[in-house]
Order: sequence, then C-alpha cells, then structure tokens
Amino acid sequence: MIYAFGILLILSFIRQKELLLKKKRNLLLFLFLSVCGFTLGIVHLVSPYIPSIAYAIEKYLK
Amino acid sequence: MNKPLTIRQVVFMYLLLSLSSILRQIPTALAREAGRSGYLSPFWSILALIPLTAIIVLLIRSFPGLNIYEIMVHLAGKVIAKLIIVFYLIWVLLYLSTKFNAYALTLQFTLMPKTKSDFFIAIMLVLVYYALLKGSKTIFRFSEFAFGPIIFLITVLFVCAISVLRVDYLLPVSTINLPSTIKASKDVIAVGGNIILVLFFADEFGIAITNKQIRKFWFASGLFVVISFVITIFTFGVTGPNLTANLPFPFYITVKGISFFNIFERFEVVVTMICVLLDFIGICIMYIVMTRCFQWLFEIKDRGFLFLPLAIIMFYLTKYVSATQFEFRYFYRYIIVNLNLIFQYVIPFLLGLICLLKRKYIKKQY
Repeated sequence: MIYAFGILLILSFIRQKELLLKKKRNLLLFLFLSVCGFTLGIVHLVSPYIPSIAYAIEKYLK
Repeated sequence: MNKPLTIRQVVFMYLLLSLSSILRQIPTALAREAGRSGYLSPFWSILALIPLTAIIVLLIRSFPGLNIYEIMVHLAGKVIAKLIIVFYLIWVLLYLSTKFNAYALTLQFTLMPKTKSDFFIAIMLVLVYYALLKGSKTIFRFSEFAFGPIIFLITVLFVCAISVLRVDYLLPVSTINLPSTIKASKDVIAVGGNIILVLFFADEFGIAITNKQIRKFWFASGLFVVISFVITIFTFGVTGPNLTANLPFPFYITVKGISFFNIFERFEVVVTMICVLLDFIGICIMYIVMTRCFQWLFEIKDRGFLFLPLAIIMFYLTKYVSATQFEFRYFYRYIIVNLNLIFQYVIPFLLGLICLLKRKYIKKQY
C-alpha cells in the first residue's frame, strides 16, 4: 500500500505543482504531512503487529 | 453549486453524522450502562443539548458570518485560538480514525468477514478523495438528498418491527433505574454534541440569519433525541437489552428478525448499505473539518493539496488507534466519549461564557 501511496503522492505533486511552488508554506506543509504519513507507513511495514493505542491505554489504565 | 451553504444542509449533515453512531454505538452503550431502562436515557440528553444549542445560537447571533476559529480569535486572541484548534485537530484525527474503524468493522461483521480492513479503508479513502475534489458543497447536497430516503427506510423498518416488539424487554421500569439512565445518557450526549460542527461552517451561512433559520437548530436537536429514542426502543424491544449490551452492531441483528407483512425479509443488507452511506458522509464531513483546521492553523487558502497526505496519515493512524473490535469498543467507550464531551461541550460552554461577559464590547462591533 505504501508504494501505491508513494506513486499517488508524486502524481499529486505534479498535478498541483503550481499551487505548491507558489507558496513556500504550502510546499512545507505538503512535505511535512507526506513525511508523517510515510513514517507511519514504514513503521507499519517494519512491525505490522505493533500494539495499538487502545491496547496501550487499556494496559496502562489496568 | 456556488451558492452559500444553507442551515438546512448543515442540520441534515449533523443528523446523518449522528445517525451512524445512533445505529451502532448508542443502543449497546445504553444497554450496558442502564439495562432495560436504557431507552429512557435519550430524554436526559435534552438537558445538555438545550444549553449547547443555545450557545451555538448565541455565538452565531453575536458573530454573524464568522466560523469557530474567527470567533475564538475575537474572544480569546489568536494564540489561544490556534492552540485550541490544535487540540480540535487531534480530536478530529482520533474521531475520524474511529469512524474508519467503525465502517470497516461493520462491513466485516455483516457482509465480508474474511476481507481485511485495509481494503475497506482504501476504497473509502478513494471515494472520499473523489468527493472532496468536487467540493464540500457536493457533500452537503448529497447529505440533504440522502436524509429523506434514509429516514423513510428506518420508519418502514420501525413500522414492520412493531408487531415483534416485546414489552417484557422494555418494562417494568421504576424510579430505581433513574440514576443509571442519567449516567448512561453520557453516551447520547457525546453523540448529540456533534451539533457543534455547525460552528465550523458558520462563515458560509452569510450575515443575515433569520429566526426561521435559527429554529432549525432547535428542530435538529429535538429530532436527534427522537431518533435516538426510537432506534433504542426498537433495538431493545426486538433484541432485548442483555443481548444488545454484548453485540457490536445490535441494530443489524434486530433488523434480521423483522419482515414486511411476511412478504419481504432480509432488510439487514439495507441497514448495512445505510451504515456505509452514513459513514461516507460522516468521514467526508470530518475530513473537511480536519482540512479547515489546517487552513486556520497555517493560514492557507487552498486545501486541495492536503487531501492525499492526510489520507495516508488516516490510513495508517486507523490501524494504530485500534486494531480489533474489542480495542475499538474500549477506545470509543473510554476515550472518544470523554473527548467528545470536552470538545463538544466544555470548550463551547467556555466560549459562550466569554461571549456573555464581553457582550457589550461585541455589540459595539456589529
């Protein structure tokens, strides 16, 4: 799935190139959110059975 | 399509957004907390919904043509407003992830138990992305169009269910049960508070708002309570409170047991379809709210480029928030319900209070 998202991101960047390059803020936000998404994706790819937030909270509260 | 948003459309959006939780989470929560008397809890929620609606009306009247962020900037300053928006953003991210989870779990529970949730979430993201590219107005128009048929279908199901309603599942109820029904109403209040989302779109209503339009908010709150009551009594009466308390989607099981004059049966597929439709609308709306939060935080004009990176974040975040039905139920019960109460009631109440204290100053401005 992460590869599909990668291709879609490149396509989205090409499609909205003018809008993103017009303002530095737009580009930075786009890159920041993309990096966040990919970090989550890579962590999931490396360890798919990582405990969920709900599990962690449940364990902590008990 | 370029016309401003109408209050009617926003009201329908609120009711549809709430309906998905009314069908799935409310009956289970009320049966668990209050047992047989749980169907009385929606009436207690009126006590919280009336002040909340009054606050929304007060803020819209005091700040015509402004959204929640602009109202917060006027009342508390830009720094505090942005800080609150950051918290709202976190809430929306978590709330949206539970919406995705609820949608995937519904489809796994009803139609496709062997399919992985990744597939359902990816399909939904594609649909949401396409709908958002067409503009938020399209989604509001769609919810306006979908509201009538959905309510009609639920009414037909209710009429068909009357003959199979068991009174012994609903009665007797005495005054001893009142404290538990009051306590259980928290779950209804946490869903009814979605009306606060109206303020996120308040800048699109225009400046002149008539009393007739304002009455629609009160109508929406009233209708929410009525729908909650009807769905709960319907589920309790057919399935029974004990079974309802332990089922992930009791309304689905309820509908399995009814038929239309013994001619048509198996309405559960229709219920699944309604739920998917409601989830689609709910996810689209929360997605718009999320992108609006980003717009306000970073002061950007266009938001189209945010859709895809946010879709990637949502796809993986949904997995990180809760992975199974049990985890989802736990997260919704202990985290989402309490977060909803904070963001839908506590913060708006504080805003309303500041608005009342600064009333003279605000009147001079408008």
